[in-house]
Amino acid sequence: MTSEVRIPDPLHPERTEEARLRAAAGLAPAPSTGGEYAGFESVGLPDRPPQTEREREVYTLDEGEMLVNIGPQHPSTHGVMRLVAKVRGEVVVDIDPVLGYLHRGIEKLCENATYTTVMTYVDPMDYLSSMHNEHAPAIAFEKLYGVKAPRRAEYIRALVVELNRVFSHGLMMGFQALDMGGLTPILYAFINRDEVVDLLASISGQRMLFNFFRVGGVNFDANDEFFSRLGTWRAGVLKTIEMNERILTDNEIFRGRTIGMGVLSGSEAMALGVTGPSLRASGVPFDVRKAHPYSIYSELEFEVITHTGGDVYARYLQRVAEIKQSIHLIDQIVDKMPHGPVQAQVPGIIRPKPGRAYAAVESPRGLYSVYAISDGGPNPYRFRMRDPSFVSLQAMPKLMPGRLIADTMAVMASFDPVMGGVDK
Amino acid sequence: MDLDLLLGVGRFLLATTLLLLLTVPTAFVVIQMELKVIAQMQLRYGPNRIGPWGMFQSTIHGFKFLAKEDHMPDQADRTTFTLAPWMVYMAAAMSMLVIPWAPGAIAADFNIGIVYFFAIIGLSVVGMLIAGWASYNKYSLLGGLRSAAQMVSYEIPLTLSVVGVVVLGGTLNFREVIEWQLDHGWMLLWQPVGWGIFYIASLAEINRTPFDMVEADSELVAGPFTEYSGMRFGFFFFAEYVALFIMSGIMVALFFGGWLAPWPFPAQLEGFGGTLYGIFWFFLKSYLFVFVAVWLRATLPRVRVDQLMGMAWKVLLPLAMLNLIVTAGVVVWLKL
Amino acid sequence: MADLRRPRPAAKQLGRRRDLSAPAGALVRLLLDRFADLAPTVWTDEDTVEVRIDGERNVEVLARLRDDPELNFFMLADAAAVDYGPTEHFEVVYHLYSDLHPAWLRVRARVDRADPHLPTITGLWEGASFHEREMYDMMGIVFDGSRDLRRIYMSPDYRSFPQRKDFLLPDDAADSPAAGVDPLERPETWDLSRFVEAATSSEAES
Repeated sequence: MTSEVRIPDPLHPERTEEARLRAAAGLAPAPSTGGEYAGFESVGLPDRPPQTEREREVYTLDEGEMLVNIGPQHPSTHGVMRLVAKVRGEVVVDIDPVLGYLHRGIEKLCENATYTTVMTYVDPMDYLSSMHNEHAPAIAFEKLYGVKAPRRAEYIRALVVELNRVFSHGLMMGFQALDMGGLTPILYAFINRDEVVDLLASISGQRMLFNFFRVGGVNFDANDEFFSRLGTWRAGVLKTIEMNERILTDNEIFRGRTIGMGVLSGSEAMALGVTGPSLRASGVPFDVRKAHPYSIYSELEFEVITHTGGDVYARYLQRVAEIKQSIHLIDQIVDKMPHGPVQAQVPGIIRPKPGRAYAAVESPRGLYSVYAISDGGPNPYRFRMRDPSFVSLQAMPKLMPGRLIADTMAVMASFDPVMGGVDK
Repeated sequence: MDLDLLLGVGRFLLATTLLLLLTVPTAFVVIQMELKVIAQMQLRYGPNRIGPWGMFQSTIHGFKFLAKEDHMPDQADRTTFTLAPWMVYMAAAMSMLVIPWAPGAIAADFNIGIVYFFAIIGLSVVGMLIAGWASYNKYSLLGGLRSAAQMVSYEIPLTLSVVGVVVLGGTLNFREVIEWQLDHGWMLLWQPVGWGIFYIASLAEINRTPFDMVEADSELVAGPFTEYSGMRFGFFFFAEYVALFIMSGIMVALFFGGWLAPWPFPAQLEGFGGTLYGIFWFFLKSYLFVFVAVWLRATLPRVRVDQLMGMAWKVLLPLAMLNLIVTAGVVVWLKL
Repeated sequence: MADLRRPRPAAKQLGRRRDLSAPAGALVRLLLDRFADLAPTVWTDEDTVEVRIDGERNVEVLARLRDDPELNFFMLADAAAVDYGPTEHFEVVYHLYSDLHPAWLRVRARVDRADPHLPTITGLWEGASFHEREMYDMMGIVFDGSRDLRRIYMSPDYRSFPQRKDFLLPDDAADSPAAGVDPLERPETWDLSRFVEAATSSEAES
């Protein structure tokens, strides 16, 4: 079904095929055989010598090739990032992601903040999954401090992160279409997002950067009004999702552009560190919620969904299936929601005993993990965040050679990167 | 110097002036439709601040273009950079000359109107190509090359699909094609395949979704128009929407009976009332197809450039050839 | 704010236990069996097993962890660097995932701070490349053999390593006793050629 079609390079047909075979055999891409080092002036930067072998390779231009800056200001780079694309006509020969345009040094800031205020810093990282960003540090700090969140707090946490996943995956459907020229799905997706965000605002008090999780619990309890709104939302949630599905899933143009596009095999994806829905779309059933169940996920019934295509279309279908899975999980969580307190007794400034803690959660983009070291002080000695979209971007140079510029956008959108997370 | 010549010159001047003036409201209405219709389809309000139902939004857009700074890249080729918007706009405006609005309301009733139309509408590719080249921008260059590849490819099936109409009607004159349809019913009934090819190819020819490869905002930023601002961009923008209306109008003339009323099928009235009646139906049908184009834009993603070319050469062109051969065969066989 | 230049003693001696009855007990036994020389460094807590190694051994140990069918740590979950202060050492910390064991495996590779070099693991996991670039960018740890070790967040002409503990934030630097240390990047220090020129010209004069 998903036969891979590569566009032959007009001047060097053997080159893309060779690149593909080398990639399949796990070898590094072939060094450029000819061409001249073009330097950085061709992408509008002051010239300097190349720093690495790879950089020399990217900036060496053969006859008929040119470098195109896709970004940092470009309609479809999902934030501020730059892809240096080496193209021959419209065929991409090589691609080099350049990051750092949104780097804020959040890790360093967190190392200089107290444990409780870290939650405010991690929010704007991956701004489409703020709840997940808070979940991992909350778990890590609880391990360090040796406190357990009450069960109701754990349930509310699971509820809000699944709500967050619904709108994040919904937006991915929209962005996937937008980057391929479809204007409407993104607006339907934002209707869905607005509903969820209003819901989350009614429990956390904030609309985008929720700042909801606390060490040892959550900030507010879910009251009856919240549950009544949740019920209303639940009744109509699939409406916009299904509208988008109707526009995209069986659309011949959409299928023609995504099936067989950007095929990533399971082993390649694991070697590259691609996680989350993108990995599961390649057939690897790795989901942190099942692999190392945290919070209350061991008490919920769900199966890890996988798709086998490994292409853009499979990654899209994977997201759609996971939205429905998340809604199913939300139903279960609401059914099982216990009563009780939502916050353990934890002081405002905590000084955990020296120790290390690693906590990983399944964010909408994959494995999001926090590694925190305490030295007994009021702030984490080391606070490390592993952002899934940062790692997933490494697939771009692998997948793009031999494809067209138009496909660059489609493939990048299928990994659903969020630059706030990539650049930390 | 006889009177006929003077009258002819006067008529020509009047007609061209009217047509040039007409491009502006035509574009405004089409743009307004695009804004409002897509908004409704996307569950938005669309423009609703300026005038009733935001009707003057496009007017304000026009003034905004006039007021904006006219920027040109340092290393752009000044002459061609300035010339490009003119060429694209003039291609659209000049092709309005042969549009059959109503009985007796055709600016130039050529007997080779169809040939003239396809010759002129193809000129816009030159404008886009030089816009892409002159801008000194890689995206513009790629967009310009795309426009050349796309338009040249689609011109062939587009023209071939019309040859069936010409063979059936036995004329290259738009008025006579419509009069033929008065006797025989809409050309759509005779040339359904030809219409299908014409519609797809015309969308590609005027860069409408799903074939808006040239502008392709998520890939090429704005294609050949990336470096244009102010009124220069305004000309491209106008030309694009005027071309959308013109293509719909030409399709209506060729396949849907032009100014003929669909009920009673097909019919036209005589005299000045007939002209007004014809204009009414012509605009109604044309805007219906503008609406369909807008609807498509709200619905479909964009095809990829190689799929687009593949479709032109592998599907549409053979189909158009086949359609032409069958039509010609039937015409010869039945001695129509 | 605390004086970050002085190493905090607590950071070195962190409370740990080795509990064979924990869910990860089987993994600990397996590790003790496979890596007898590393036995004293194996520790557990409730969901993590930890091994400490020398920086030079990272490729060898990680390759065995990945390729051993009973260990099967096929996925690199995270790779990060930790700075234990100006007078101490660096650590490169790898977190691994295996579908056979109910625990994360943490491999802590010790790196000399004065000469922070260790082999790249991009041969094992290609996706470690961005992690290593980040460690190089933020901590200044050099991964030998990497094809693409350049800065990833900061601009190429940046000279400092911002996540080292002796790189202070402005509000810390104001009242810290870090006298003599100029941790904050100053634009005028970027272009070293100026100093080189001055040095050579003064030599020429003399």
